[in-house]
Amino acid sequence: MTITFRKERLDRGIKARSADIYALASWRELAYLLAPRMLLIGGVLAFPLLRGLVDAYWLRVMLMACTIALLALSWDLMASVGLVSLGQAMFFGIGGYITGYLSSTLKWPPFITIPIATVAGALLCATLLYPVLRLRGIYFALITLSLPQLFERIIEATKILGGTDGMSGLTPLPDITISLYVIIAVLFATFFGFRRLIDSDYGLVFKGIRDNDRSVIAAGINIYWYKAQAVFIAGLPATFAGAFMTHYNQFVGMSSFAADYSVLPLTSTVVGGIGVFAGALLGAFLLVPISEVLRAYGTLRVVIYCIALVVFVVGRPEGIFRYAQRKYHQFERPVAVEE
Amino acid sequence: MLKVRNLSIFYENALALNSMSLDVNAGEIVGLFGSNSAGKTTLMNTVAGLTLDLKIKEERKGGERITVTGQVNFEGADILNVPPSHRVAQGIVLCRERHPVFRDSTVDENLRISGYTRTRAETRARINQVYDLFPHLVRLRHRRAGLLSGGEQQMLAIGMTLVAHPRLLLLDEPLLGLSPAMQGEIVRAMKDIRQQGIAILVTEQYARPIFPVIDRGYVMENGTLITSGTGMELMDNPEVKSAYFGM
Repeated sequence: MTITFRKERLDRGIKARSADIYALASWRELAYLLAPRMLLIGGVLAFPLLRGLVDAYWLRVMLMACTIALLALSWDLMASVGLVSLGQAMFFGIGGYITGYLSSTLKWPPFITIPIATVAGALLCATLLYPVLRLRGIYFALITLSLPQLFERIIEATKILGGTDGMSGLTPLPDITISLYVIIAVLFATFFGFRRLIDSDYGLVFKGIRDNDRSVIAAGINIYWYKAQAVFIAGLPATFAGAFMTHYNQFVGMSSFAADYSVLPLTSTVVGGIGVFAGALLGAFLLVPISEVLRAYGTLRVVIYCIALVVFVVGRPEGIFRYAQRKYHQFERPVAVEE
Repeated sequence: MLKVRNLSIFYENALALNSMSLDVNAGEIVGLFGSNSAGKTTLMNTVAGLTLDLKIKEERKGGERITVTGQVNFEGADILNVPPSHRVAQGIVLCRERHPVFRDSTVDENLRISGYTRTRAETRARINQVYDLFPHLVRLRHRRAGLLSGGEQQMLAIGMTLVAHPRLLLLDEPLLGLSPAMQGEIVRAMKDIRQQGIAILVTEQYARPIFPVIDRGYVMENGTLITSGTGMELMDNPEVKSAYFGM
C-alpha cells in the first residue's frame, strides 16, 4: 500500500467566522472583510487628494483609468448576456458626439448635456444594435467591430458634425479634482449598481441567456427584448464616459471612435477577470497606469502589452481578481490518499 | 487488455471514484452498471484520457483541482499520463454519452473526420463496414447530423468510433433515450462489433437490455465497486437485481 498526497483546498477559518453577523464583534474579522474593499475604494477616493504631491499628469492618467474602467464595466455587463463586443468605442463616440453637438450648437452647459448624451446615446446604441441581437458569438463581435469604423467614415465622408476637424472649444469642466470625483462617483455607482443588478432576479435572466438561451426562450421570456435592455443598461456608463471626456478635452472628433476604446476595456476585463465587475475595475486600474509607465519604451510598449495579454488568456483565464480572491479566502494543505 | 487498479479521483475535495479496480479482456463485452453519480462517466473519461485534459484546463482556469491516483494499464503499459490523442492511436476509443456528433456536418463527413488517425484507404474501408453494420445510415449519408433522430445519432456516434479502428471501445450509456426497438438495434451492433475482435466496456443505468450480450459486469455505487461477476452472478444478487434489472 503506497501513500500519495493530494492538495486539499479549504476555506480559511477567518472566512468562515466572518461569514455571518458575528463578524461585527471582532476587529480582526471586520478588518478581514473590509481591508480589501477599502483598499480599492479608499485608494481610488484618496487619489485626487494627492494633487499637490504627484504630477498633474498622473491625475489625467487616473481620469483615463476611470474612463476605461467604465467602458470595461459596460463590456462585462454585455458579456454577461453573452454579447461579446469588440466595439465599446461606438458607445464612447456616440456619447461624445451627442454632447459635443448639444454643447457647440445649442450652448447647453455640461450638467445638462452629459446626462442627455448618456441616456440618448445608450438608447441610440441599443436601437442600432437591436436588429443584430439575434446574432451570437463571433458574428455579433464582428458587427460591433465594424460599427465604430462605420461612424468614423460617415463623419469623414459627409463632413457632418465637424467632419475630420471635429468640434472644439466646448464648455470645459470645472477643475480636475472635481472632475475626478464626479467620474469616480459615477464609476462606483455603476460598479455597485451592476453588481446588484446581476444578482437580482432580473440579472439572473441575463446570465441565463448567456448560459442557455434556448432554455430561457422555453421559459417564456423574449430574450431579444432582454438583450436590448442589457445593451441599453450597459451602454449608459460607456456613453457617459464618452460625454464626460468630450467636455473634459473640450473637443470631440473621430478619435472618439478609435480602436483604443474598444481594445483597452476588453483587455482590462480579461486581465482582471471576466464575469466579476471588480475584475474589470482592477484590470483598468492596473493596465492604464502600466501602459503609461511603458510609454518610455516607445513602440515596444505594445509588444510587452501583447505578451501580457497572451500570458493571461492562456495561463490564467480566470483573471487576477478571482486568483487573488481565492488566495485570500482559501488555503491548501496536503492530505494523504491511500492506494 | 485493460487493467484499472485502485483508481481514485477527486474533484477538488469530492471523491468521484474510490479505489476502483476493473479488467477488460480481449474480445469481451464488459458492463458497468450504476445510478447517476456512481462515477461511470468519470471512469470512462479517465480511461479515454479526457480527465487529463479537463485537469489541465481546470488548473489554468483556477477551477476545481482534479487528483488522480492509481493505475490504468492498457496492454501492459501504464497510460495514466498518456494524452487522449495517443490513446486513440493505441486503440482506446470513447463514444461519449448523449450521442456526440458534429451537428453541422453530414453523416458521411462525420465518419470521415473520425478516420483522422488512419490512412485514407483504411478509413474508406471502415466507413463501408459501418454502413454494413448500420444499413439505416446509408440513406442518411448526406443529411446533417444535427437533424437526425436520437437513435440515428447514436448509431452514427458508434460508427464514428469504429472508423477510428478501436481495439477497446468505450460506450458511455449508448442506450440513453432510445426506444426499445432502437436499443435492440444498438445491442445487436455491439454483438457484431465483438465478432470483429473489439473489446467493449459499456456503461448503463438499466442493465436489462444489454444483459444478454455482456460477458461480465461490474456494479458501482457512489464511486465504489459494489460487486462484479458474470451476468448470471449479478442476477443472483437480489439488491443488484432490483436496482439495475428492475425485477
